[in-house]
Amino acid sequence: MAEVLENFAQAPSASILSCRDLSVTYGARPVLERVSLDIAAAQWTAVVGPNGSGKSTLLRALAGLIQPHRGAVQLQGRRLSAWSRRERARRLAWLAQSAAATDLTAAEVVALGRFAHSGWLAHRKADDDAAMHRAMLATGSLSWAQRRLSTLSGGERQRVHLARVLAVEASVLLLDEPTTHLDPPHQEDVARLLREQTRRCGVSVVSAIHDLSLALTADRLIVLGASGVVGHGTVREALDGDWLSQAFRTRVNIVEHEGVHLWRPRLESLE
Amino acid sequence: MRPVLAESATARWEAAAARRFGVWLLCCVAVTLLLGFGGLIIGTSSIDTSLHWLLAPDAQSSVVLWQIRLPRTVGAWCAGALLGLAGAIAQGVFCNPLAEPYLLGTASGAALGVTICLMGADAAIGGLAWVGNLGITAAACIGACAATLLTITLSRGVLQTASLLLSGIVTAFLLSAVTSLLLLAKPEIYREMQTFLLGTTAYISWTSASLLAVVFCICLVPAILLSRGLDALTLGEDTAQSLGLSLRWLRLTLLGVVALSTSTSVGQVGIVGFVGLVAPHLVRETLTVNHRQLVIAAPLCGGALLQAADLVSRWIIRPAELPVGAVTACVGGAYLVFLLWRRNRDG
Repeated sequence: MAEVLENFAQAPSASILSCRDLSVTYGARPVLERVSLDIAAAQWTAVVGPNGSGKSTLLRALAGLIQPHRGAVQLQGRRLSAWSRRERARRLAWLAQSAAATDLTAAEVVALGRFAHSGWLAHRKADDDAAMHRAMLATGSLSWAQRRLSTLSGGERQRVHLARVLAVEASVLLLDEPTTHLDPPHQEDVARLLREQTRRCGVSVVSAIHDLSLALTADRLIVLGASGVVGHGTVREALDGDWLSQAFRTRVNIVEHEGVHLWRPRLESLE
Repeated sequence: MRPVLAESATARWEAAAARRFGVWLLCCVAVTLLLGFGGLIIGTSSIDTSLHWLLAPDAQSSVVLWQIRLPRTVGAWCAGALLGLAGAIAQGVFCNPLAEPYLLGTASGAALGVTICLMGADAAIGGLAWVGNLGITAAACIGACAATLLTITLSRGVLQTASLLLSGIVTAFLLSAVTSLLLLAKPEIYREMQTFLLGTTAYISWTSASLLAVVFCICLVPAILLSRGLDALTLGEDTAQSLGLSLRWLRLTLLGVVALSTSTSVGQVGIVGFVGLVAPHLVRETLTVNHRQLVIAAPLCGGALLQAADLVSRWIIRPAELPVGAVTACVGGAYLVFLLWRRNRDG
């Protein structure tokens, strides 16, 4: 443990969330082994990698939702377990991969994002109302506020859950596939929203993303492969080091168009 | 920036929803009062006689009305309310609309407790004095609580809902098997046990009704306080935890409430099926509710259901009575078949 703490001392000061020697196992199967990362403050970090590489597990471990087999996570220089549940929930917001279809209304779901602020009795103050309103407006979910989540489409539900996460007004957002179920224009909206959160509000965003083109619009990348972290750095570093091809164990074509990096599928063999 | 939402359509809708909920509660209270009146005038005597007793009571009719029928109808409401509350919480904790209060093996535990008590006392339920009655109540409560503990122990905690459900099933089968073996060894208590297993409101006194009412108030407080946790659980365990909830503490407290309310109800009226399962469904069918509203509405609905079932059990083969559990099973079963049919029809 002393070694882990010593390793944390080497974390850059701009890092808001970091982990050292993080190992997670499901039963006897290791999913993450000795992962050490520093999440930059006020930046959007995308986690990419093939299926089963441990993207969701990494996010769950960073959120403190699973107990690591070894290693530790620090939030704002303090071990995650040292924060009280409520304090941690105010600083770290989490979006699960699947958008639950509950019978609660969209407004009630977003109000749950204020749980760490308003507590069990749920006496919403003006701040809570304002945060909810902003979050629903930003995700375009205000018009369904009164509808039960179970009556919304998958994409609409996803936007309500995203609003819940934004309503927390946390300094770190951990999002597991935030663009799942969304059509391309709304995926673009989410990407713009996340960028805005980092630029204007100073929020740090870590999101697992399958769409490589979308992931390449992030500030930084964590690239996971079958054998662990392939690389962690800026998008330029990832492209120069060809981390994506290493992670997916196949040639990953990235083309640059008007300053934007895009993933181009290799379909030549089919023609 | 005072309430942005207060001026919005959301706030107006929330106010309208609160009004609808208020009207629903008032209707439910009105039905309860109506059923309560029915509980006073329906019995072995004719309705005309009962009405005459109400208008011009004498010493004998006062005893029948205020010491037998009123505590019975009040007690039936409280027992139904406890089951409705336990059902709403169980469905929330397990995130399963088919969850019911007896899921933790409480019914089987209570039955075993009563069997052991009857074997010890070697007396008929109907013939027991108040001490004996308290003995059966205590035995049912102890049995139900022991079954809950066994279920939680078998599932090694409360964090895994699937193993908790399986452990509940195992516990129920195990304790039912022990009860059956004991009944085989002492068949003379079988008839009395039957009364308990089919449920009856016939032996509710003011003492029983008071006990049920006090336990209902005790259980309602944590249920309302923790209802936001039940809302959060509908979003998934990870999300609930990320909101700052302790799942272990939340589930343990709520399962404690389920165990206490179910065991108290079973102790006083025996095993009454379907009320705990159907009451939350009925509320959800008629209202869009969150869990705070559900833990208030489901007891009202459950209470009214058991009151109604009690009246039917008294009325249908007058002057004899049907076991109230049989009535709730018939009506509740039919209602669930209707729900199933409608779900299939709507795809």
